[in-house]
Formats: sequence, structure tokens, C-alpha cells
Amino acid sequence: MFETLRDGWDQMNGWLFETLVQPLLYAAGLMEWAEDAFEWMDFALFGLLQVLIIYAICRPLEAWMPVEPRSDRRSIRTDVIYTLLTRLGLLPLIAFVAFASMEARVSGLVADSGWVPPTLETLFPILREWPLLALCVYIVVLDFGEYWRHRFQHMFPWWWALHSIHHAQRQMTFWTDDRNHIIDDMIGAVWFGGLALLIGVPPGQFPIVVVILRLAEALSHANVRLNFGALGERLFVSPRFHRLHHGVLGSGESGKNFAVLLPVWDMIFRTGDFERHRYPETGDPELPEALATGGWLHQQWAGLRRMGAALIGRG
Amino acid sequence: MRLSRAQLLRLVPGLALAAAAPARAQVTAGTPPGSTANSPNPASSNGDLVYVLNSGEANILVLDGTTREERKRIPVLREVHHLALTPDGNTLMVGDSGANEMLFINPATGELRKREVLSNPYHLGFSPDGRRLVITSLRRDQVDIYGWDGSALTLQKRLSAPDMPSHLAFRPDNAVVYVTLQGNGQLVAISLETLEPLWSMDVGPEPAGVIWHNDRLLIGIMGSDHVAVVDPATQAIERTIAVGRGAHALFPAPKGGPIFVTSRVDSRISLLDPGTLAVTRTLRVPGGPDCISIDPQGRLWVTLRWQGRIAVIDPETGKMEVQRAGRSPHGILYASVAAQRAAATN
Repeated sequence: MFETLRDGWDQMNGWLFETLVQPLLYAAGLMEWAEDAFEWMDFALFGLLQVLIIYAICRPLEAWMPVEPRSDRRSIRTDVIYTLLTRLGLLPLIAFVAFASMEARVSGLVADSGWVPPTLETLFPILREWPLLALCVYIVVLDFGEYWRHRFQHMFPWWWALHSIHHAQRQMTFWTDDRNHIIDDMIGAVWFGGLALLIGVPPGQFPIVVVILRLAEALSHANVRLNFGALGERLFVSPRFHRLHHGVLGSGESGKNFAVLLPVWDMIFRTGDFERHRYPETGDPELPEALATGGWLHQQWAGLRRMGAALIGRG
Repeated sequence: MRLSRAQLLRLVPGLALAAAAPARAQVTAGTPPGSTANSPNPASSNGDLVYVLNSGEANILVLDGTTREERKRIPVLREVHHLALTPDGNTLMVGDSGANEMLFINPATGELRKREVLSNPYHLGFSPDGRRLVITSLRRDQVDIYGWDGSALTLQKRLSAPDMPSHLAFRPDNAVVYVTLQGNGQLVAISLETLEPLWSMDVGPEPAGVIWHNDRLLIGIMGSDHVAVVDPATQAIERTIAVGRGAHALFPAPKGGPIFVTSRVDSRISLLDPGTLAVTRTLRVPGGPDCISIDPQGRLWVTLRWQGRIAVIDPETGKMEVQRAGRSPHGILYASVAAQRAAATN
């Protein structure tokens, strides 16, 4: 069955590429980028599939065990717009492609010296024989990077000015995951893509890593009364674990539960709260109302102004 | 891609554990050929193997040349695109460009003999005398010239070659290698005596494949619909031959047979008469035909880049059979046991 699915997926991609994308590239005189464009299209379609999977998993859970009623549908619609703009992996992909070109140049210079940079597999040869283990290692390293990016988002005032858009949502659902300022997204893409290249994530595995982390992030934002139990809460970030981070006591510089996928980072750096029965309200009353209930453009503008104020010391 | 789609689909629903076995290649040569119900061809195996480089899936698919059954998949680190047989036919070199590795494989068995760290091997080919291996690096804008003593490679020269050096061809006297530059529409000639560029010329938008043929260079112009015929002595384009949009790579049949030209946008293979270079036949091949290897029966083994498949085509009858290979299959080689002395580059 999997083989049939794989083949079907490739046939669909191939047909779309040959019918729509490749003729456009040819007409535009960009055929030298055909292979990269094919990768991008595959990635974008995969992103669409990803949204559908997330919806299929999270929406029934939210309907089954909601923490709070869906009373502010307008606010949720804004989050859906955020998702559609960013969920297809466009920004991480741009960062990765840009970094891949840059990395190729830098590697070329390095290769001139006779030294070829190692990958994780060359440092740890066992990973070469166990690709799934290699994938797990990549995910752990990248998740560690995401933990610290999240810490910095709360630590630096100018960064918190951007990230507070994410925390202003009082009607948190699985759509809230992508509620970020576009500058924040760009920084995140550069951070994530740069780290991926630093440790040598194979381009083909990059989308898989993105999908796994995105799935975890979407579920953690879901409006669902769900914890993973005493042990599970310490293994993977649950909706309960992350809701606490979005509560009044959790946000800001003294926040808790920063982990994206693996709570072990919160345990190591003593920022974890594993009290399993608290499902606080989300949002931050100290933030401007525009960040909570404004439209996408309104929120982006407000975030930009707040960042500017923070940078000149008035925020 | 390091993981197959099947592995990925297991991963996403969280059912990955069963797939977490080592990916070490397993030779299944002992399996009776044609013994499975899914065998595409019940004929007995003659020992020939077909190598398909799945550039988007990080593996090399090894098929039985007769039954077309999968023998094994050799895992690689990043992206394998092109390959070359050593002049003695005893070793198959496969470049893993993203991983900076060259793989050395026994073409008769599919056994991976060794891996060697080497800068970004994209396209590669041996000079006719077998003493040099030239490697183009598409993403790093460099051409590397290696010496080959029959067992080891020694870097002799690294040349900067902007923009996007792609395919290559040798002058039969071993004096010059010609490289297409996809990014700036040029062909560059490099002396293999001084190891310095000799000249360059505009040949058309996004030139890709290039071969030496009857004292001329034939170049697939991917940004257009033709093959450019270049006289290297005068550095002039003598004529163009319309073959189809996205003209890509050229593959001459042995013993003076036709020249096969793939066109990616129009998805076709054109047959050129080797004497007149006129198009004698056009085969419709959906899926983005890319590289071709020709088996002893004269059939074409073609990678269909955009469909993750390969096609086996009888150019006489036009009959085509396709089967799944992996994501973005690129280079391909039919390694004939009987004719393994014939060096091949793909």
C-alpha cells in the first residue's frame, strides 16, 4: 500500500510539474533551476498535506475535549490566515535554499584548502547505517536549537515585542501555532535552516524534520484538555504543557515550558512545570488589544512598532 | 532523500519503529530470479545489473537486468546524480555531490567497496586514455581534474568555472575537455595538457549534455528546443537541430547507431541519424526523460526524473515499459557482464 501511495504521490507531482511549472520555467528562461523548482513544488505540496493531517488530528480532538468554548471565531480566522501564509514551509524553505547556495560557496572555498567539512554521519559512522536513528539525532539537535530560540524570544525585549503577537491570542487553537510576526518567522527560518546546514541535515530529510516539529507544535497549541501522563509529559510536549506557557503566569521573561517537542530541555534548564491538572486561560492582559484581536496586517504593524520602540529603549 | 516515502509515511503517523532496522545493503543474489509473483519479466537472470541513482531519495537502486526485480538499494548520504565506470570496467564510481563523497562499487555484484571524501562530485567522466577523471561541480562553479592510476585519484587542478558547470565531453586525443556552463549559456574548453582554460563561447540558453561526434560537439540546449552543432576548431555554431523543448542530454548508440537526445519539457527522445544528424524518429516519453543507458539488446533504460520511474524502451518498436525507481532518478547504467569492458559515463 505504501508503495502505491508513494508512486501516486510522485505521479501527481510529476504531472503538476510537467504540466504547470516546467513550461513556465522554460518560458521564463529559468530551466537551469528546474531541479530546484521540482524540489520546491514537492515541498509545498507536502506542506499542504501537512495542514490537512494536522487538521484531521487536531480538530476532532478540540471538538471532543475542549478546554474552553470557541467564542472568538474572528480571532481564529486570523490565525488560519497566518497558517495559510506560513504553514507551507515557505520561509524555512527560502532560508534553506538561500543557505544551501551560500553553504555550497563556502564549502567550495573550504574544499580548496583540501579539507571537506564533516557531517554528523562522518563524525558518528553508525548513523550512516541507521538513517532513522540519524533522523532522530537531527530532530533532537534542532529541537534543542528551537528551545533556545524560544528562550531568546522571551529574553530580549525587541524580540519579545515581536513574539508577543503569538502570546496575545486569548482563543488559542491548533491554528495559533503560526501566529507570528513575519520578521520573527524570518529570524526563525534563518536560525533553523542555518542550524540544519551546520549539522549537515540532508536536504531530503529537511522537510521530514519540519513536518515532525510542526505536527508537535500544532498539537501543543490545540484547545484540548489533554496531558500525556506523569511519564509522557516528560517525554513529549503536550497541549497541557504548552498551554501553561501561554497562560498569564507562563509568558514573558519569567516564562515556563519553552520546549517545542522534547520537555527534557525544560528539565535540564529548570524551566519546566509538570503540574498536570492546570489548564489556564491564555493571552496576556498587559499586551495591546490590537495584538489580540486585530487583523493580520494590524498585528504585523503593531508588532513592528513595538519592536522599534524596544530597540530605542521606549518599549 | 535519505528516507523513502514509505518510511516517511510510517513516520508521520508514529509507526516508525518497525522500519528502524539498519539500512545496510543486502545482496540478494541468491534469490532465484523471476521467483516472485510481481516479477515484471519471468526470464532467467543473466547476471546483468542496472544501477539507478535516486538523487532525491539518497539511495542507489540496483535492479536485475533481465527480470528488472530489485536486487538491493545502496544507501548514500545525500544526493547521487552521475556515475562513471573506470576504464578497466571493474569499478563503478558514483558521485554523491551533497555529501562530498565518491562511492566505489563493484559493478558486477553491487558491492560497495569504499567511500572516499572528495569535493562535490556532480558530473564525471574519464578521458579516453583513462588517465584522467574530470568532475564538474554544478553548485560550486568548479571543475576538478584528477589523475587516475588505476586505483587512486589525485587532484591535479581545480578550476573556477562560473556559472553552473554541468556536463562534459572529451576530444578523442585526450587533449581537451569541454564543459557546458548552464548558468551563462557557454561552453568552455579546457586543455588537459596545461590544465588551463583554452577558450569559451556562447552556445545557447542553459546548455546541458555535450558529446564529441565526428569532429564536432553536439550540445543539448535546455533553455531552447535544439541541439547545437559546434565546430571546436572555429568555435562556431554550424547548425542547430530542432528536437523538442528542453533539449537535455545526448547518448550515442554503440557501433554507429543513432544518437538519442532527451527533451525534458516536451518529454520526448529524438533519434538522430549519426551521419546526417537528421531526426529520424521521435519517441513520446512522459515523465521528464533524463539519462539513458543502452543495453546489449539495444533497449534504452531511461530515468524519468519527475515521475520517480524508469522506462525501458525498444527504439525499434517504440514499446515502452515503466516501473517505479525512487525519487528523482537521475544517472543510470546497465552494467552488462558480457560487455563490462566498455567504459560508460552517464
